[in-house]
Amino acid sequence: MTNNIDGIKDEIKYRTEYTDWCIGCGNFGILRAVELSLEELKLDFHNTVMVSGIGCSGKLPHFLTTKISGVHTLHGRSLAFASGIKIANPKLNVIIDAGDGDTYGIGVGHFVSAGRRNLDMTLITHNNGVYGLTKGQASPTLKRGEKTKSLPKPNINDAINPVALALVSGYTFVARGFAYDIKQMQHLIEEAIKHRGMALVDILQPCPTYNDINTNEWYKERIYNLDIDYEVKSEKERDKKFNTAIQKAYEEDKIPLGIFYKNELVPTYDDRIKEDIENYLDYPPAIQEIENKGKASTIPSFIEQHRVV
Amino acid sequence: MKITWMIGGAQGFGIETAAMLFGNAVAKAGYYLYGNREYYSTIKNRHSYTTLKISDKKINSTDSIANILVAIDAETIFQHFTKVSDFIIYDKNVESVDIDSIKSLEYEIEEDAVNLLKDSGLNTTVLDAINYAKKRGAKSIPVDYKSIIMQIMNKLNIPSPVAERARNTIGAGASFALLGLDINLLNNAIKETFNDQTFYNLNMLAAEAGYNSAKDYLNYYKLNPIKINSHRIQIDGNTASAIGKIIGGLRFQAYYPITPASDESTYIEANQLVKMQTKEGIKEGGIVVFQTEDELSAINSAIGAALTGTRSATATSGPGFSLMAEGISWAGMNEVPVLITYYMRGAPSTGLPTRSGQSDLMFALNVGHGEFPRIVIASSNHEEVIKDAAFALNIAEIYQTPVIHIIEKTIASAYSVIDEDTLNADNFEVDRGKIADNSDDYYRFKFSDDGISPRAFLGDAQMFHSGDEHNEFGHIDETSQNRVKMYEKRNKKLESASKNISIDYKFKFYGDKNAENIILTWGSPTAPSINAIEELKRNNIDVAVLQIKMFNPYPKEVSELLKNKKRIIAVENNYYAEGAEVLTLNTLIRPTHYILKWTGRAIADDELVNALINVIKGENKRVILDDK
Repeated sequence: MTNNIDGIKDEIKYRTEYTDWCIGCGNFGILRAVELSLEELKLDFHNTVMVSGIGCSGKLPHFLTTKISGVHTLHGRSLAFASGIKIANPKLNVIIDAGDGDTYGIGVGHFVSAGRRNLDMTLITHNNGVYGLTKGQASPTLKRGEKTKSLPKPNINDAINPVALALVSGYTFVARGFAYDIKQMQHLIEEAIKHRGMALVDILQPCPTYNDINTNEWYKERIYNLDIDYEVKSEKERDKKFNTAIQKAYEEDKIPLGIFYKNELVPTYDDRIKEDIENYLDYPPAIQEIENKGKASTIPSFIEQHRVV
Repeated sequence: MKITWMIGGAQGFGIETAAMLFGNAVAKAGYYLYGNREYYSTIKNRHSYTTLKISDKKINSTDSIANILVAIDAETIFQHFTKVSDFIIYDKNVESVDIDSIKSLEYEIEEDAVNLLKDSGLNTTVLDAINYAKKRGAKSIPVDYKSIIMQIMNKLNIPSPVAERARNTIGAGASFALLGLDINLLNNAIKETFNDQTFYNLNMLAAEAGYNSAKDYLNYYKLNPIKINSHRIQIDGNTASAIGKIIGGLRFQAYYPITPASDESTYIEANQLVKMQTKEGIKEGGIVVFQTEDELSAINSAIGAALTGTRSATATSGPGFSLMAEGISWAGMNEVPVLITYYMRGAPSTGLPTRSGQSDLMFALNVGHGEFPRIVIASSNHEEVIKDAAFALNIAEIYQTPVIHIIEKTIASAYSVIDEDTLNADNFEVDRGKIADNSDDYYRFKFSDDGISPRAFLGDAQMFHSGDEHNEFGHIDETSQNRVKMYEKRNKKLESASKNISIDYKFKFYGDKNAENIILTWGSPTAPSINAIEELKRNNIDVAVLQIKMFNPYPKEVSELLKNKKRIIAVENNYYAEGAEVLTLNTLIRPTHYILKWTGRAIADDELVNALINVIKGENKRVILDDK
């Protein structure tokens, strides 16, 4: 190890960050599944960026042992940051890691819009029904009438259905995992990353500290693996497969896990930009040489359209 | 030489096209112009007008009193009959229309007009209002719009709604006759504007008919064409900002639609393919314009794009800027170069959405929670807007921090004629600041003497960013040891900026350094202030102008220029004289006098001259301008 200019050891770079989640937190499983997926797909900082939101989940990129770059953003805005990164440099894989408050509460407008655009990105949402870092308030996915242990009164709002909302918003890959099933999560995350288009992997996650209702045992009694033909391979299959996915999204007594829907026939945002900017993928904003020998490289000939004399 | 021309009518019926045709024709004759546009927050129907000042010298403001008023409808007469000195060109067919029948006229305007007419012993029809103006020296030119339109309709065999669209061009033709310039200049402007043969014919006939209606006063102003050997462009402020950004290397612009900012983004989108001179020869580059779901997404996606090494920006006005506050704070914390073009309009809240104001300066300076460097600059005219926008992209990258570029609504929607070579557009220097040369041993937030760490871009090196306090690598770090250094590192950049940014971008001084009176101003009031220097000389009043361009870091050196002045007169479009407040905060110098206006309309040349005389001769400490 070397010393940098201020004498602080390079440990800040090369040590593993202390993972400060509660014992038994579902985040550990998600962290491991993300690491395994990145390793399997040979993704690192050269080609991939992890963008996260705020809350316990938001720290995940800092805790990864994989050599990755992380952008720990604002509450609810991770999709907005990620969209800018992806559009400016479509060569980068962009994986968003966010909480259910981030995704379905404060940032739900971005969640819907990301579907409409079908950006080629992967969103992994930690869905545990509570705002853990602020001591257990109800998140948008907690069911009405449920009173987790730090709520003074039962939850007054109905829950959002993340899978259904993703489907109607235009997500072209929608899956659900469970935080204690690392193997399945790894599979879902890898498939989501490989998918060309906007992907959601919603991960059901017990919060051992604040959610005393949706516990590991509670989930184990209800989860089962989906066995449906989820991929739309031609336009004429679209309605049927979409409807099946919606139906499955609304199953409540039993909770299906796995891939609900996949459709690569919808043009991605890249494809749409290419309609206007032909060389967009080869020469995206991030790599354009805007400077040439200290001068602006942009030729200002477009100004001529405004000539009056 | 100055002539102010005004055209008014219902919004959405071609006022702006007529003003553009007239302006183009005048510009082709070698004159400069500045056109200020006023309109309601509506798509169609309410009264809108353009005031176009023509001069043989470069100008950036207008007068409140028009030499020529072109009224397309009756309402225009009642809105402006007290503010015209030479000619009213109006529709003969509306002479008998009574003010009471015009429902779109706001109550306050109607009441003032009725009282004025009645006190003068007149009734309240259009003809009465015209007679009022005539008593004060104006001449009237009645134009029979109806029969002209009928003739054109029959001649071209087109339906009446199409023919009606040429009304404004009739007015433009009539007023052009007064100037004494060759009608072919107007014809050429029409030719360049209308590709469609029917519309071309329609407007040519309308211009000719209008021209002939004003034959009694042909060549009244005796303008001669001025020979110009170089190129001139005519642009508005939105276009100016877009041009500056494109030249400056902008490649990503995110925005959510809002008045008066959106036109900038749509312009960039329409011109998104640019030619670039690179080492490997000429390449075509594409600028992505990203229309977002809200301003939260606009600022944060712009920040995301900036992290990839893309020159990146957004454009908004007050309500949108309010939503951007949290993102700007993140950008400050993570040292992200992002440009926010802030179009100031009448506030608070939705305020006067299509009018102007300077009431958000303090907000721009303090936006976002916490202490971090925000560089804030303000432009006063279109040429400055272009140069400042391009420059802002440089300083954002050099100091790795958000830059806020203030443009007011009045500058955004006004247009002017600029000499192309003064822009020096093909010679703009691009400075990308410190770029990392070693991506293996990379620390995004490495401590340094000037607070600036070399930048690497996502994909090039491993790095972390966090809105939490972070260490040099970017990981969360809450220790006091790190906090002390990292916090200081960020804020130190402002000192570096203060030391290194050239004085031309910080402030400008006009007039005699020894003048006993000095106007302290910024933004749009700068142009009428400069205009006042010469006007007041004729009244034996000595005045100079200090225009502040950069508010953070503040150019404290201006205190030298304010020493030993008899009067320091703050001129601003707001209530609190915010620009002067910032001066006081930084230098402890206070203005002695104030001229303030918060009607949402720009300060006009004549209005400011009168106010300055009032302040200086009348020793009036605080003059409020109210457009009366």
